[in-house]
Amino acid sequence: MRTDSKSWRDPVLVATVAPLAIVMLLFFVIPLVMTAVLSFQTTQFYRLSWTWDLKIWTEVFSKPHYWTIMARTVAMALVCVVICVLIAFPAAYALATRLRAYNAQIQILIIFAFLTDAVLKTFGWILVLDKSGVANWLLAHLGLGPEALNLLFTPTGTMIGMVYGLVVYPLFTIYLSLARIDRDLVLAAYDSGASRLRAFFEVTLPLSRPGLYCGAVLVFVLSLGAFLEPKVLGGGTAPLASELIRQSFETRVNWPLGAALTLVLIVIGALSLALSAAVLLRGSRRAAR
Amino acid sequence: MISERLKDRFVDILLVGAMALLILFFYVPIVTLVVFSFTDSRVLTFPIEGFSLEWYGELFRKPDFLPAVANSAIVAAISMVFATVLGSAGAVAWIRYRFRLQNAFRAISFLPLLFPQLLLGVVMLLWFSVLGNWLGFSTGLATVIIGHVVYITPFALVIVAVQVYGFDETLEDAARDAGASGWEVFREITFPLLWPGILSAATFAFLLSWGNFYVSYSLAGTARTLPIFVYSGIAVGSSPIYPALATLNFIPALVLVFLADFLRRRALKRQKLATA
Repeated sequence: MRTDSKSWRDPVLVATVAPLAIVMLLFFVIPLVMTAVLSFQTTQFYRLSWTWDLKIWTEVFSKPHYWTIMARTVAMALVCVVICVLIAFPAAYALATRLRAYNAQIQILIIFAFLTDAVLKTFGWILVLDKSGVANWLLAHLGLGPEALNLLFTPTGTMIGMVYGLVVYPLFTIYLSLARIDRDLVLAAYDSGASRLRAFFEVTLPLSRPGLYCGAVLVFVLSLGAFLEPKVLGGGTAPLASELIRQSFETRVNWPLGAALTLVLIVIGALSLALSAAVLLRGSRRAAR
Repeated sequence: MISERLKDRFVDILLVGAMALLILFFYVPIVTLVVFSFTDSRVLTFPIEGFSLEWYGELFRKPDFLPAVANSAIVAAISMVFATVLGSAGAVAWIRYRFRLQNAFRAISFLPLLFPQLLLGVVMLLWFSVLGNWLGFSTGLATVIIGHVVYITPFALVIVAVQVYGFDETLEDAARDAGASGWEVFREITFPLLWPGILSAATFAFLLSWGNFYVSYSLAGTARTLPIFVYSGIAVGSSPIYPALATLNFIPALVLVFLADFLRRRALKRQKLATA
């Protein structure tokens, strides 16, 4: 791919870059800064008052209640990452190596499911997981477990919903990195006497690592903000960080608190992004040597 | 030898089975909704007792969801246009140009994709509220559209960027050598070659906006889009009209996804013919 060096005096560059940059600055970067600013204000009688102090942050750091919920959110996110990757890898591998002929059809099926209204899909899961729902009917008719499983309004229900919503991301990132692997490398491994299993673990798996990491990180950061699933499928029994943030805005009308909790979550996400970028960079440097 | 071949066969079945199970998983709630939309009972238990179209009738006897549909359509159409245009222009700048502050541009145009939607919505809500206080407006459909554009543009950008990446720039050079002006090169060569990607991006953008809940929920104020309508409905209690509403909601998405794929393939085929 050839690239053109452009100066900011070139109107073509300004026309392609400026509109998007302005939109993102005005409605993404400035709001982020504003969130940070707001977390140093306070509320009086449900109204924001512009007083610079650390009251909200001392409250956030002194209440273990918030941190239990944050810890639960991170734990759920980590479990979600593991399950998503375990489900997505074999499927992506099949898509890249065994199902080439049906790639287009399978991608359309997946994209359609992905683009369908999340609220409706969550409602669909209620009908599936309910005591008198599809899952229990199926289990009973397969002769598995005479007692009805109670999945709705449990953390398991939440997790099913979260995995359902996010497994698409690692599926595509892993598929993309598997599809890019040079087939000759795998064949070379066979030629030099490696078994199929060994070739997989020493050639394919390391080469698919970028997609694996990207998918895992995407699932992690996106699941930090899961809201519908814990509320609708989890029944609010084990609230996650998103619920805490919603309450501080809607029930308590304490915006600085909501802003501070949002920032905590963003920092957790940003740290995990930075960490995985560092690991990935070190890995590729080692591979280059 | 035979056992080796048997083992390979076994691995094949396992892998293909994993993909099949995943697709099944994706369609469990969707198919369930469609099945339940034809129930004749008021309680939603499985298996459904009998087939009826009662709830579709009920839905249209009390069409209080229609304003929400209209709002969703307006928001999705406008967001689609902005996200696709901004994303396409951004994709060209991402891949084909080198300029000062490029990395900063890349960061701010991609980061919303890494944000949980709820946080994106909340952060923008704070900003719009402060701004609204100063300038005297409140959140509504306009702020929802802005929120959708911020959320969806990175998706459009990535999709078009893939198309830009596979772009054959010698075609542009040839046109230029043949005496075409900059605008003619863009209109006759660049744009048609990028069209399949732009089309996919537009479809994605429309449907992401149409089905978006989180960003709308934060930024809609008192306005209601379809997902918000359904959310406030199921928060009160499940009613048999929602599966019917859901099934109707799948139809435009289905049509759009297949139409876009058909158009994309046709464009690709034409390109192959043109370059061959």
